[in-house]
Amino acid sequence: MTIPADLKYTKEHEWVRIEGDTATFGISDHAQEALGDIVFVELPEIGRTLAAGDAFAVVESVKAVSDVYAPVGGEVIAVNEELEGEPEKINTDPYGSGWIVRVKIGGDSAELLDEAAYTTFLEE
Amino acid sequence: MSEAEAQLAQTPLHAEHIRLGGKMVPFAGFDMPVQYPDGALKEYTAVRKGAAGIFDISHMGQVRITGPQALDFLQYVTTNDVSKLVDGQVQYSALLNEAGTFIDDITTYRMNDDAYYLCINAANRHKDVEHLLACAPAFDVAVADESDDTTLLALQGAAAQKLLQALCDVDLDGIGYYRFAECTLDGAQAIVSRTGYTGEDGFELYLPNEAAISIWNALLVAGAVPIGLAARDMLRTEMGYALYGHEISAEVTPVEAKLMWITKLDKGEFIGRDAVAARKAQGPTRVLIALKLTERGIPREHYPVLVDGVLSGEVTSGMHSPMAGGLALAYVKPEHACDGELTVEIRGKAVAALRTTTPFVRSNVRK
Repeated sequence: MTIPADLKYTKEHEWVRIEGDTATFGISDHAQEALGDIVFVELPEIGRTLAAGDAFAVVESVKAVSDVYAPVGGEVIAVNEELEGEPEKINTDPYGSGWIVRVKIGGDSAELLDEAAYTTFLEE
Repeated sequence: MSEAEAQLAQTPLHAEHIRLGGKMVPFAGFDMPVQYPDGALKEYTAVRKGAAGIFDISHMGQVRITGPQALDFLQYVTTNDVSKLVDGQVQYSALLNEAGTFIDDITTYRMNDDAYYLCINAANRHKDVEHLLACAPAFDVAVADESDDTTLLALQGAAAQKLLQALCDVDLDGIGYYRFAECTLDGAQAIVSRTGYTGEDGFELYLPNEAAISIWNALLVAGAVPIGLAARDMLRTEMGYALYGHEISAEVTPVEAKLMWITKLDKGEFIGRDAVAARKAQGPTRVLIALKLTERGIPREHYPVLVDGVLSGEVTSGMHSPMAGGLALAYVKPEHACDGELTVEIRGKAVAALRTTTPFVRSNVRK
């Protein structure tokens, strides 16, 4: 299982990559592995304003339906439309081509964990 | 380990599932693999696309019925016409209560005049056996629950026969669909039937527990792919096969569940017959239908089904089919049984669907 050091994580197993005033969200390797084969992703509309902790997307595996929560607040400026046709990218490349949305940061933040804290959290 | 986990039963193959990396979940009181490390989609593909999958379904129960009145007894407690069976034939059937609703759905195997064998659902095992024992004293029969001594494997997929033949002393080609043979499998006495729950050609193997691990591993070595509960449910749902607790339950009769084809009202007296006949005359309280989404989404169990914006019923089994997209079985009001256009409410949003027929994808069982 990989936990890249350049990302931050939530206790709900989302990751966030902050670059200037934008942030990209996805779900962690641990989350995709726990869910199993992902077969459907419901994406938010561009322009939607999210507060930290808002459910902004839904990922469905063969057996389970899971909400994905915003690690930080902001306005959705891009969604990964490729996931509509190839949701399995979340399984194969959760931190790369399996990204879900990008926001312009403008709001509060959930409790974010760095690599070490997230690793500890997973071990607990 | 929690108390609930500690109480879960294990099949004779439990250690093999762990060794293979199976993700174990509680199911019908057993600790069972929901999937192995390659994942449910790859397992599904192995069964559908020309290979063979092997399933541990030992959680299911087996009951042997013997005695001079075995036929009369089974005619009385099951819905299908057992007198139509010849030696070596299997029949899909059901146990009903006096209200005409389901105690369980089962398969009946006829060995000979005086000996039959029932395969029953894991979750209903104790209820079924109690019911059979309660009915038995009026007949000259013995009812023996053999579940704890029996391992049941399913080997399903186009390659199943080839893999199994290497272990088996009878010519499998001679076993037709819903037929079985008592034979020697890798040195063990077994019942091999050409039956299954996937819509592919294949077999179910009833084995003594002592032989389970060696036969399971021999089939793995031969190339069979281990299949967990998630892929098993995908495969059965694509066929539109009913599952107890979903399409059939103590809430519905065979009239609602579209199972009158296994309910022979004219065969003579049986438990539930009068209630089913009355329900048939009055009309069903709800009707089981098949639907396919025409927009993106996955219909899941209990999602509401609407017709013209009005609530009509709910999904009983639903999935995303790699071949057919979002599909579901659902109960709707009888007045909507013929409506082509429906919607399924998914997270508050109405998603368009069309009524369709089952199987949702082509069945490859050998007829």
